[in-house]
Amino acid sequence: MRVNPNTVPDILADINQSQGTLNTLLQEVSTGKSVSVPSDNPSASAQMVQNTIESADVDQYTQNVSTTLNAVQSASSVLSSVVSSLTQAVSLGTEGANGTTSASNQQALAEQVQGILANVVSEANTSFAGSYLFGGTGTGKAPYTADPTSPTGYTYNGTNDSNSVEVGDNLNVQFSLPGSQVFSNSSNSVMGALSSLATALQSGSTSSISSATSAVTSAISYLGQQQAFYSSAQGQLNSQETTLQQDTVTLTTQATNLIGVNEATAATELSQAETDNSAVLAAAAKVLPQNLLNYLSTPS
Amino acid sequence: MGGLTTSLLVGLQALEASQAALDATSNNIANANTPGYTREVVQLSENAENESAGTVTGGGVTLDGIQSVRDELLNLQIQQQTSLQSSADTQSSSLQPIQQYFASSGNDIATTLSSFSSSLAQLSASPSSSAAQQSVLSAGQNLAQSFNTTANGLTSAQTSADQQVTQTVAQINSLTQQIAQLNSQLSSTSATSENGGAIEDQRDQLVQQLSTLTGIDVSQSSSGEVITTGNGSPLVIGSQSFSLQTATGTDGFQQVLDSNGNNITSSIQGGQLGGAIQVRDQVIPGFLNSLNTLASQFATAFNAAQAKGYDSNGKAGQNFFTVPPGTAGAAAGIGVALTSPSQIAISSDGSAGSNGNVANLSAALTNALPSGQTPANAYANIVFQVGNAASNASAESTAVGQNILQLTNQQSAVSGVSIDEETTNLIRYQTAYEAAARIVSTIQALSTVTLDMGSTQSY
Repeated sequence: MRVNPNTVPDILADINQSQGTLNTLLQEVSTGKSVSVPSDNPSASAQMVQNTIESADVDQYTQNVSTTLNAVQSASSVLSSVVSSLTQAVSLGTEGANGTTSASNQQALAEQVQGILANVVSEANTSFAGSYLFGGTGTGKAPYTADPTSPTGYTYNGTNDSNSVEVGDNLNVQFSLPGSQVFSNSSNSVMGALSSLATALQSGSTSSISSATSAVTSAISYLGQQQAFYSSAQGQLNSQETTLQQDTVTLTTQATNLIGVNEATAATELSQAETDNSAVLAAAAKVLPQNLLNYLSTPS
Repeated sequence: MGGLTTSLLVGLQALEASQAALDATSNNIANANTPGYTREVVQLSENAENESAGTVTGGGVTLDGIQSVRDELLNLQIQQQTSLQSSADTQSSSLQPIQQYFASSGNDIATTLSSFSSSLAQLSASPSSSAAQQSVLSAGQNLAQSFNTTANGLTSAQTSADQQVTQTVAQINSLTQQIAQLNSQLSSTSATSENGGAIEDQRDQLVQQLSTLTGIDVSQSSSGEVITTGNGSPLVIGSQSFSLQTATGTDGFQQVLDSNGNNITSSIQGGQLGGAIQVRDQVIPGFLNSLNTLASQFATAFNAAQAKGYDSNGKAGQNFFTVPPGTAGAAAGIGVALTSPSQIAISSDGSAGSNGNVANLSAALTNALPSGQTPANAYANIVFQVGNAASNASAESTAVGQNILQLTNQQSAVSGVSIDEETTNLIRYQTAYEAAARIVSTIQALSTVTLDMGSTQSY
């Protein structure tokens, strides 16, 4: 059988293919990506869509968790501080009700309790990152403002609802309680208890002082229950933070696996491709000039 | 019994035969690198013997002609594969620019969708921050814009495929006319039994070019070569060519009509024309349809979530996105309806500080659409379709390219000019010519000697 005398197309195809491989590897090494357009790996490109969206979300969720954790921690420390103020009020009430305290001393104690109330109100008006910790979903106005017509002397301006923050796909964590539930609850009002204690001390009635003092004590235990909400929110956020950190690692690893390049492998392949390319070119240089004319003597 | 004259005649025939062989060889060498050239070989046959008075002498050599060496079957196979490759190449090169819209660029839908999603998560943490509200609105605008850009990119690729249809049809018509003309020349040369090699080479070359433009069937009939499109519409019958026409169809794109005015667009396969029609009428409409469905369903779902809440002014949430009714044109037409960040329905109860509806807004991005997929999955699916189509087209082109290389090698083995072979032949025919010339000169010398016999005078 006759052999194909024209090797040029074959040689060109070989050189072309070798050059193509070299270019692809060069691009992979220089960009660090094995996929630049969807056709490089359609399925990886499709998975990267999800990865891109999830990565951006996880970043934002992580920020949300960290901001919210700070808010929850401040709210929790406000509650602790209020509890210690209340404890102080209880000892003042106990002192006022022991039967030996003079009326003037009781007045002085009443003023101290008023001071504690003012202090608690200011604590309840604590704001964090521009919003009030105990204002419910209300904005703009401080949760508690002085109001002479109110029995406690203060009125609640916030709402009875509370916001949740998005810390995962379809995962929203409630991170605050409204002041109306924490401080001015109708059955267990911190403000009400302190205000009654001050009034009782002013009146000098031992029995009133005692009952007002025990109301403050029960407010302390009520705050303890509210504190549990913040601990639970904190626990939930901490565990979500761990999950998100894990997600970040998983997503980064996934992205690397999908479209990344293993530098060592790619560099080795590149060097292999360079060698192959040199070999193809060297072979072409040897084969192409070969023909009978090289060996015939020129006609005389 | 043959005399000197007979020998002289044989010598002359030998000279002619060698001369023809040298002609063929030199023509082969001259066209060694001419595309479409098939090598020529000289056809010689031995003359009948002369028998006279019981003595048999050789009758010399006859030059039958010069024959081109070609394999029609291989040509047909190469034409078919060329049509396939050309179609795949056309699809691949149409899909390359489209792919850029789906690659991660910062403006692609995946990126803008992720920014939109994370801006909503940010809004959940700071519902009353005007910066957070603004960033949701801007991210929504960017998302709508990337839908527009992608849809426009697809449409413009469709338009260039449409232009390619018109141009290719014009090229096909020009080629079929030339082929018909060559067929007519060929039939007259065949009649006079001259060597039609060069014309046949030219025609094969043109048919080869025609096969890059569209898929064709080539057959032989009594009226000469017949070329039809894949579905049988005639392009060339012998010396007559049939022009294809184009006409604007109901979808605004050019339809291909055969010479009788029948619409044969959907049955055209292979070649640039088949590839361009495939991309224009099948591939891109598939992508556009998926993208439009996504844009329409996503906008509707997000608007529904927006309607569940109240904006910063306490009003019921109005549509966030505007989208044309129906799915057609949804991706190209989607836009943001809101003009101010305060119109985002953040609140679930109408109070300014509530963020209760942000969860609903975010859920619109993570919940399944009526298509059964989440927006991210639906988009990922489109990315896969685009990538897969482009990758298949280029893989097919590569695979068919290998076939063509194989077939071309086989064709070249049959028809290609080997310089080594021609050089060898050159030496062979040179020697033969020299020997034939020697016959003539020898006979001349002998004739002289014969004429000189018995004469004092020398001739």
